[in-house]
Amino acid sequence: MKPKHVMDGYRVLDLSQYLAGPAATNLMVQMGAEVIKVEGGPYGDPVRTFPFSNKERRSAYFIQQNRGKKSICLDLKSPEGIEIVKELIKHCDVLIQNFAPGVIERMGLGWDVVKEINPNIIMCAISAFGQEGPLAAHPGFDYIAQAYAAVTDLIGEPDKAPSMTMLAFGDVGTGVHALTAIGYALLERERDNNGGQYLDISLLDTYFHHHEVSIQAYSASKGKIVPRRNGSQHYAVAPTGIFKSKDGHLVILALLHQWPVLCRAMEREDMIEDPRFKDNEDRIENLPAMVAEIEKWLQAQDSDAAALAKLEKARVPVAPLLTVPQAMEHPHMIERKTIRTITDPLLGEFQIPGMPLRFSKYEVNEDIVAPTLGQHNEELLTTFLHYGAEKIAELKEQGVLFQKAV
Amino acid sequence: MHPKHVLDGFKILDLTQYLAGPTASRLLVEMGAEVIKVEIAPRGDSTRFLPYHKNNRSCYYVQQNRGKKSLCLDIRSEKGLNIIKDLIKQCDVLLENFSPGAMDRLGLSWAAVNAINPEIVMCSISAFGQEGPLSKLQGIDIIAQAYAGVTDMIGAKDGPPALPLLALGDVNTGVHAVAAINAALLNRTRTGKGQWLDISLLDCYYHAHEMNVHVISASDGAMMPKRSGAHHYAVSPLGAFKGAERYIMLMGSLHFWEPLCKLMDREDMITDPKFDTNDARVANANEVVEIIETWIQRHNDDEAVVEKLQGARIPSAPVLTVAETMAHPHMRERRTVRTIHDRLAGDFDIPGMPLRFSDYPEIMDLEAPFLGEHNAEILSTYLDMSAEQITALEAEGVLDSGDS
Repeated sequence: MKPKHVMDGYRVLDLSQYLAGPAATNLMVQMGAEVIKVEGGPYGDPVRTFPFSNKERRSAYFIQQNRGKKSICLDLKSPEGIEIVKELIKHCDVLIQNFAPGVIERMGLGWDVVKEINPNIIMCAISAFGQEGPLAAHPGFDYIAQAYAAVTDLIGEPDKAPSMTMLAFGDVGTGVHALTAIGYALLERERDNNGGQYLDISLLDTYFHHHEVSIQAYSASKGKIVPRRNGSQHYAVAPTGIFKSKDGHLVILALLHQWPVLCRAMEREDMIEDPRFKDNEDRIENLPAMVAEIEKWLQAQDSDAAALAKLEKARVPVAPLLTVPQAMEHPHMIERKTIRTITDPLLGEFQIPGMPLRFSKYEVNEDIVAPTLGQHNEELLTTFLHYGAEKIAELKEQGVLFQKAV
Repeated sequence: MHPKHVLDGFKILDLTQYLAGPTASRLLVEMGAEVIKVEIAPRGDSTRFLPYHKNNRSCYYVQQNRGKKSLCLDIRSEKGLNIIKDLIKQCDVLLENFSPGAMDRLGLSWAAVNAINPEIVMCSISAFGQEGPLSKLQGIDIIAQAYAGVTDMIGAKDGPPALPLLALGDVNTGVHAVAAINAALLNRTRTGKGQWLDISLLDCYYHAHEMNVHVISASDGAMMPKRSGAHHYAVSPLGAFKGAERYIMLMGSLHFWEPLCKLMDREDMITDPKFDTNDARVANANEVVEIIETWIQRHNDDEAVVEKLQGARIPSAPVLTVAETMAHPHMRERRTVRTIHDRLAGDFDIPGMPLRFSDYPEIMDLEAPFLGEHNAEILSTYLDMSAEQITALEAEGVLDSGDS
C-alpha cells in the first residue's frame, strides 16, 4: 500500500514520453496518484535508451522521471492496442500525451472521442508550440522551443555564440505548468461536478512566461530598451551578475536599497554618491567601470570565502558558483533532501533531484521504483479490463503486448 | 465581476512581493480567483520601483499584478496585524515569501494561521526553504541559481559563466507553488483540512536538472557535466550553429542524425565510425559542428536552411531575438504575447497566459491596482468596517495608499 498523499485515488493515463509529459506525471506519482504509463511497443519510451545506463541497459534518465508508474507496453498502431487504451480511458481521471499535434487524432484518440468515452476526464496535450498556429506542425524539442521563445538569444557573451542552458528548463517547467492546469481542472470538476476539459500546454508558452522584464520593457519603451545577451551581467539592472573574484566567481545582486549596502560592505562609501553609479541607469551606463570596482574589491579579499562572509553579514544577496558535484555535496541540499539517493533494482543506488513540492501533511514517498517495460501489462489488463490469462497470452502472441526487463 | 473561470470563488490572501510569489497569485487571478494583495505601507511591493516606468507606473509591477486588489497596510502595527488575521479567516489560501522566520516573528506561523483557519492552505515561498544551513541567507533568483549548480553549467567552456537574462527561477518557482497549492486544495475537498507548503527556488531550480545529477551519481563521476558554450556537452549535434547572419538551433541527435546527413548530402557520415553514434559524435563534436556550419553557411540564406531542415522534420529553429518573437505570427495568433492596457502606462505587451483551458478560452480583462486602491472595498466587504473606521485607520497610518 502506498502511504496516503494529496492525490491518493486519482488515476492518470499517461501516453507521454521523453521529458515534459513524464515530468508532470512524475510529480503526480509523488503526490500519490496512480499513473499508468502507456508505452508504444516494442521499445517503449525512447528515454529508456538515454545515458547514463549500465550494462543491463537500464537508464538512469528513465528512472529519474518514471519511478512509481505502472508500465503497459502496447502496439499503438494496432486496433487492439487502441481498444485497450480506450478501455483504460474509462477508468482514469486524467489523460496526458505529448505526441506531435495531430498524432493523437490520427490514432483515433482526439478530444472528441476521449470525452465521448469519459466525459469526466481531463485531457492534457503537451507540445512544443501548441496545438495550433503556424509553428504547430514543426518537430519540437526543448532547445528548439527555447530558441523560438527568444530565451537562447539572451544567454551568452554579446558578440559571440549564444550559450546552451544545459538543463531542461523548458521540459521540466512545462511539465509543472501542465500539472498545474490539470490540477485546477480537477479541482473545478470536484467543485462543480461539470465534467472534464481539454488543456493545451506548450513549451513555447512556458518559456515565454519566464520573460519577467524583456517583453514589457521592450514594448513599453517602444524599442528603446533592447533586451540582449550580455555575458555575465544583466543588461538592464546593475549590479546583477557574475563577478570574477579571488578564487573563481561570485554571483552578486544589489538593487534598489541594496546598492548602498554593498558599497558600505566594500568600504567604498564614495561609490554611493559617485554620479557614475548613483542610480540603476547610471550604473548600466557605466557597467564596465562598476564591474571593475566590484571585481577589484573581490580580488583584494583573502579568499572567496572571506568575501562571501563579509557580504552575507551585510545581507547583500551573494552566492558562490557551485558546480553540480559541489551542489550535490552541499549540506543544505542534503539536509533538505533537495538531492536524494534512490535505489533501483536493476541500476542500484544513485542520486536524483528531490521532490520540489513539500506538503506539511504528507511525507515524500521514497518507496517507489521505475517500471521495466510492460511490467504491469497483466496487472492492468486484469484489473481494469478483466482480461483472462488466455486473452493476455493471445495479445502477446499477436504482438500487441510487449514486455522486457529493461 | 470576473467572468467565470476555474477558480471562481476562491480567495487568496497574498502577502508576497517581488516575483516568485506574485507570479503564483497572478496565475490564480487569471484562473478566476480573488487575490487580496497586502502591500506593506508606505511603499508597497518593491517592484513598483523597478524599471521600465511609464507615467510613474512600473510596467514590471503591472505585468505581475493585474487583477489583484491592493490593501496597503502597516503590518507591524497591532491593528494592521489584526486585519490580516481577520482576513485569514475568510481566505482559502495564504501566500507569503518573506525570509524564513519573519512570519513567525509577526505572529503568523503556520501553527497560528492554522489555529485561526484550519481549512486554509498556507504556502511559503523562499530562496532556500524554511530550514537548513542556507535558509537564513538573503536569497534572490540568481543567488539560488548559483547554489543549485545551474549558473556553472551555462556559458563558454573556458570563459566566465553567462547569466540567463530571464527569471527562470522566480517564475518557475511560482508555478511550482501554484501546483502545490492546487494539490492541497484538491486534497482539502476530501479531508476538509488545509496544510502548509514549503516551496523554494533552490528546489525548483534543482528539479530542472533532468540529467546532470543522475549522470554524475550513477556513473560514479565518470561522466561530468560541464558548461560548453553553444553546444550540448553530452548530446551531438545539439546546439546553436552559426549561419550566414544568425544562429540556428538544431537537434540532429537520436533518429534525426540520418535525415540530417541525407539532407547535407553526407550519407557517408551515417555509417562513419567517427559519427555513427552519439558517443562518437560527442567525441568528435568540433568536427560535427564545423561540417554542419559549413553546410549552413554555404546556403547564404538562413531562412532557407531552417525551412529545409523543418521540411525534413529535423528539429530546428532560428535563434530569435525578443523583438522578433513579439512580431512573430505564431506568438500573435496563439497570444503567447499579448497586448494589455494600463490606466497610466497605456498599451504594452506582456507574455501570455501559459495555462489554457478548453472550458474557459477567454482571456480576462484585468488591471493592476494602484497602491492601496482597494483598502476600503476589502475592509468593508470582508471585515464589515464602516467608512469612519477606515478613515480612522488611514489617519493612524495603519492604511496607506498612492496614486499609481
